[in-house]
Amino acid sequence: MKTGRMMKIAFIGLGRNKLRTFLMMVGVIIGITALTMVVAAALGAQERIVDRVKQFGYETLMVRAGGDVERGARPGGEVTTLKIEDAEAILAEVRSVIEVAPFNRRGRSDVVYQDKSANAPLFGVTPGWSTVWNWHVARGDFISDRDIEQLARVCVIGPTVQRELFGDLNPIGEVIRVGNVPFEIIGVMEERGISAGGGDMDNRVFIPLSTFMRRVANVDHIYGIRILLGSVRDVDRAVEEITALLRERHNLVPGVPDDFTVRSAEEVQAMVEGMLGTFNVLLILVAGISLIAGGIVVANIMLISVNERRREIGLRKAVGARKKDITTQFLFEATAVTLTGGVIGIILGGAGAVLLETITQTPTAISWISVAVGVVFSVLVGIIAGMQPAKRAAALQPVESLRG
Amino acid sequence: MNKKIIEAVDISKIYGRGVDTSVTALDNVSIEINEGEFIAIMGASGSGKSTLMNILGCLDKPTKGKLILDGVEVSQLDDEELAAVRNKKIGFVFQSFNLLARTNALENVELPLLYSDRSNITELARKALVSVGLSDRMHHLPNELSGGQQQRVAIARALVNDPEIVFADEPTGNLDSRSGVEIMSLLQILNEQGRTIVVVTHEKDIAQHADRIILITDGKITSDKKNTNKIQAKEVISDAGEQFPETEVTDENR
Repeated sequence: MKTGRMMKIAFIGLGRNKLRTFLMMVGVIIGITALTMVVAAALGAQERIVDRVKQFGYETLMVRAGGDVERGARPGGEVTTLKIEDAEAILAEVRSVIEVAPFNRRGRSDVVYQDKSANAPLFGVTPGWSTVWNWHVARGDFISDRDIEQLARVCVIGPTVQRELFGDLNPIGEVIRVGNVPFEIIGVMEERGISAGGGDMDNRVFIPLSTFMRRVANVDHIYGIRILLGSVRDVDRAVEEITALLRERHNLVPGVPDDFTVRSAEEVQAMVEGMLGTFNVLLILVAGISLIAGGIVVANIMLISVNERRREIGLRKAVGARKKDITTQFLFEATAVTLTGGVIGIILGGAGAVLLETITQTPTAISWISVAVGVVFSVLVGIIAGMQPAKRAAALQPVESLRG
Repeated sequence: MNKKIIEAVDISKIYGRGVDTSVTALDNVSIEINEGEFIAIMGASGSGKSTLMNILGCLDKPTKGKLILDGVEVSQLDDEELAAVRNKKIGFVFQSFNLLARTNALENVELPLLYSDRSNITELARKALVSVGLSDRMHHLPNELSGGQQQRVAIARALVNDPEIVFADEPTGNLDSRSGVEIMSLLQILNEQGRTIVVVTHEKDIAQHADRIILITDGKITSDKKNTNKIQAKEVISDAGEQFPETEVTDENR
């Protein structure tokens, strides 16, 4: 029997009971709407990460103090083995390295200007920071070599800090206190937005690294080194060379784990994506549960429908329908319901995603993947939900159903 | 009138199991029907006449016995082959018409064709409706038709795939007497064109339209005789001074 005829029969069957068809559809619509929104949000988040990493450049590396073991909980306090000299050695000895930006940082610090205060991480950086991050001042100047030499009490602030402390006023030349140490503002950074990890990169205060180490934190180690390479092709070799160089400088004999971590931008991307992936799986599970509930409704109503239509099924068999034809008819009906519900769900979910983006600023992305996921799942639900009712219908004897 | 189209041998149908609880609806019934015969199966309700027809029409399976239909032993067929037999060789007319609700006359008649490999479905359905005199009712829904018209749609549906045998289970049971006579007239015309007709009825008047009357009592054939005073429905209608409805069964329409 031809597919076109089969579909016609199924649609006629559904059209005969529009309210019931709609009720069957509701659960699927809700499920697919949720699924579409979740997929759109997941894709949006991923797109944002890729954007960020691209913006920072794939030809960068990050060296952090502490090996993988020390990440997370650090019972012994900060790892102190990474030094400024390590950064200088990397620049001098690893051929593909164009620029290094050693830095240290302190978490949230109170930043005070007159009667206003803000809370921002404090970064000690060198002039190379601006080059390596490809991130410049919007006005004023960035930290210079002279500031480093003089241990100058100057700072460059991020636009968020500026807004909070100064509003529309020009902050250049003003003095702010960071943890009670006064700093003169010499520049304001460009907007940079949210980092791949989710932090606000515009809510930061930058001071010369030398000032940070001697006058603020009183340490001789650094937190990390951001490294700019000549080309993306050099990434793997540079990671190897830097690792070897640092192990040698830190006198690590074979068998002792690294006391630092080298990560490429790609690895960072993969890490964050991995974290998001877990989260997305949970969200999709939730959407999936509503879809399962929708499927159960479809299966139930289909079973009732089969019972009520024993006469029709018997008649069809009496005039020559095979078991296969009856099975197909009911599977088609179930699938037509869920697919229609799915298409409505995709449209609603797409609209919902746009709404979500406008209201909460959560990035979303609607692509053919969202549509494909919606279509595939709605068809799947239809087939699974329709299977049992279809089998039951096909098993009816023509004579049994004629008695009805 | 010589080719055997149906041959039932020792057919029994027993419902339920156990000595006390089982009911024997048919008890070793054997019957032969020749091509082109018009047969009435008569009996009181519960006599087993409908069970017999359902088994002869391949809607039900006998508990034991052999059924040979147009040279093919039906009990040996699988679902697919059986469906093909119901589709091509047999046409069924039911007491309660059994039309699909909210589906117009044309679509109802198309139904058997949907399960065949024919391609000119609408055209064939149209011809069948014309042949039962409903050319002006093709797009009417069942609830917009009279009982007689609905039964004629059902007959068109039974005819549309050009079957060899038409089974009619109390075809006039839900109709007024005039519509009933019209339906019997239609069946007689079909029979004159060579089709085998089997009508199940409990009314003697209806059975009188057949060539041969088989009487069933308690699951057994108690009488199988040629009908000596056959009623010609066409004459009844013209005797009543009525115009025969716009029925125009011609060979061309078959």
